[in-house]
Amino acid sequence: MLGILAALLLQTPPPPLAIEHRLARALALSVGDTVRVRQEPDAPGQLMVVGAIYAPRADPATVLRNEFHVRFHLPDLAGLLGARDRIDRVGVSLVPGVEPDSAARRLDRLAVGFRVRPSAEIASESSRTFLVVSRFHRAIGVISIVASAIFLLCIMLLKVEERRLDAAVMRMIGVRRRTVFTALLLEASLVALLGAALGIGLASLSSVVVNAYYGHRFETDLRFALLTPGITLFGAVLSLLLGLLAGGIAAARLVRTRPLVLWRRG
Amino acid sequence: MILVAAKNLARHRVRNALAILGIAVAAALLLDMVMLAGGMERSFERMLLSRGYQIRLAPKGTLPFDTEATLPGAAALSARLRADPRVRAAGAVLGGALFTVSGDSLLPLAGLGVEPEGQGLYELDRGADLVPGDTTGIVISATVAAATGWRSGDTVRIISGTDPQIARASSERRLVVRGVVHWLYAARGQRTVGIALPLMRRLNRAAGDRASMIMVKVTRDQDVEPVASDIRRLAPAVEVNSVTTLVARFRTRLTYFRQLSLILGTISLFVGILLVTTLLTITVNERRGEIATLRAIGVSRGGIVRRVLLEGALLTLAGNVIGLLLGLATARYLDGILTSFPGLPAAISFFVPERGAVLRAAAALLVAGSIAGAWPAWRAARAPIAATLREEAT
Repeated sequence: MLGILAALLLQTPPPPLAIEHRLARALALSVGDTVRVRQEPDAPGQLMVVGAIYAPRADPATVLRNEFHVRFHLPDLAGLLGARDRIDRVGVSLVPGVEPDSAARRLDRLAVGFRVRPSAEIASESSRTFLVVSRFHRAIGVISIVASAIFLLCIMLLKVEERRLDAAVMRMIGVRRRTVFTALLLEASLVALLGAALGIGLASLSSVVVNAYYGHRFETDLRFALLTPGITLFGAVLSLLLGLLAGGIAAARLVRTRPLVLWRRG
Repeated sequence: MILVAAKNLARHRVRNALAILGIAVAAALLLDMVMLAGGMERSFERMLLSRGYQIRLAPKGTLPFDTEATLPGAAALSARLRADPRVRAAGAVLGGALFTVSGDSLLPLAGLGVEPEGQGLYELDRGADLVPGDTTGIVISATVAAATGWRSGDTVRIISGTDPQIARASSERRLVVRGVVHWLYAARGQRTVGIALPLMRRLNRAAGDRASMIMVKVTRDQDVEPVASDIRRLAPAVEVNSVTTLVARFRTRLTYFRQLSLILGTISLFVGILLVTTLLTITVNERRGEIATLRAIGVSRGGIVRRVLLEGALLTLAGNVIGLLLGLATARYLDGILTSFPGLPAAISFFVPERGAVLRAAAALLVAGSIAGAWPAWRAARAPIAATLREEAT
C-alpha cells in the first residue's frame, strides 16, 4: 500500500505546453486539460497538460498558412522528437559595442555544422517574400496610374471641349487667350481635386472593408491595407498634377483654335 | 452601318484615340487578372502531373514536404502499391540535408532519396540514371554541376550529419555521378542531388522504413479516386492527396492573389464601361441635331440605337486588340516579379496565357463596352425630334 502511494507521489506529472487561442477554440481546450502530442501519426506520443493559452504575435509571414502554433519547454520538445540536446538555432545577445558582423564571423570559424549570421541578414532574407509582393504591388500601381492618367486626360479633353462655345464667346468679346486658358486650367484642377478627395474617401472605406474582411478571415489584428498620410498626399498630388497636365493640354488645344471655328463647331 | 460608325469615330481623332488607349490599358489589366486568377492553378496542376503521378502520400495532416514529418513503412507500402494492377508506378522519397566539400568549406545540398523504379521527381538530361539498389551513384542538377564542376563519372564526396560538438562530419561517402537531371519541383538555383533511398537512410541515420512522401502513378485516370480511396483504407495514418486535392489546398493558400485578381479585374472592367459611356454620352449630346435630323427623315429609333451601340463596340474592339498585346507584355513582366518568390518551384507560373483566358477577357470587355453604349443610345433615340431641331436652329 505504501509502495503504491509512494509510486503515485513520485509519478511525474505530464509536462505543460502552451497553445494558441485559435487552437484552444478549435479543439475546445482550456487550461488544465490533458492532451496527447505525437511527432508522427503512428508514434505513441506523450501526454501533456495545457499550461497556458496565448495569443501569438501577428506574423505576416505565416498568416496565410493558417497554421496552429504550440509552445513547449525545449527539453520536452527535444524528448518528443527523439533529438535530445539538439536544437535548430541559438539566439546570441552581444554586449554593447560588439559589431554583430565581426562576432558572427568569429563564431562561424569555431566549428562545422552550424552557420552564424547576424539578425539583420536573417531579417533581410526572411523579408524577401514581402519584397516580391511589394514589387508586384508597385508594378500594378504603375499600370493603374497609367490607366487613370489616360482616363483623366480623356475626361478633361471632353470636359474642356464642352466649353468651346463659352471659350469662343469669351475670345470674341476680347478676353485674352491666357485668361481663357487659366480659367479652363483652374476648372480642370478643381475637378481633379474633387476627384482626388472622392478617391481618398473611397480608398479609406475600402481599406476598412479589406482589413475587416481579412482580419476576420485569418483571425488576426494585422492590417492588410494601409492608407498612410504619405500615400494620401501622393494620390492627391498625383491626381492634381495629372489633372493640370490633362486640362492644360486640352485648354491649349482650345485656345489655339480660332473663335469662329469654335463657334461653328459648337 | 459599320463604315458610318467608323467615320463618326474618326471625326474626333484625339479623344477617340485616347479612349481606345484607355480601354486598351483596362483590357490589358483585365486580361492579366484573368490569367492570374486561373494561371497559378493550371501551372501547379501541370507541374504535379509532369511525370504522370496523380497521387501523393504524406504523413497524416501534412502536405508533401511541408514539414519534416515522415511516413512509416514507406518502401513496403510503395512495393505493395506497385503490386496493384491499376498502379503503373510508385516510389518513396526521403528528403534530407547533405553537404559536399568545396574549397575549405561545406557546400549545402538538398538531398532526395528515391526509388529509381518509381520516381516522379526528375527527368534525365544527360549521363545515366540511378538503378534500383544503386548504393554508389548520385544524380545532380545542372545547378550543382555548375557550382561544383562535377561531371558524369566523377567520384565525389558527400557528407551528412555534421556535428558541431566534434567539429566534423558524422557520415561521409564517396559516390559516382551517374548523370545530370532536371528536378521538376526544385526552386530556381536550388542545389539538389538524388541518391537511392536506402543510401539516403544510411547517410541520414533515419530509423526504419521511413520516407517523406510516396508518389503513385495510376494507369487510367478514372482509377485515380478509387485507388486513393483504397489507399486511405489500407493506410489510415497516411494523408492521401490526389492532384485535385492538392490543387484545392494550393488554391486556399493563394486566396490573396485570386481575390486581388477579382477586384482589379472588376475595376478595369468598370473603368472600360465608364470610359465608353462618358465618351458616347458626350458624343451623342454633340450630335443631337444630327440624330434629330436622321429621325426626321425616317430613320427608326432602333436604327439610331444600333448606330450608337456599334460605335461603342468599335471603340471597345480597337481597345481590345491593343490591350491584348499590352496585356501579354505586362503579364510577362509581372510573372517575372512573382516567380522570384523564394523557394517557389521554377516550373510554376502565375500568368499563363491560355486561349480560353484571353477569349474570356476579350469577350467580357467587348460585351461590357457594347452594353456601356446602351444608356447614351437610349437617350439619343428618345430625344424629341421637333424640340431638338428647333433648339439646334436657334
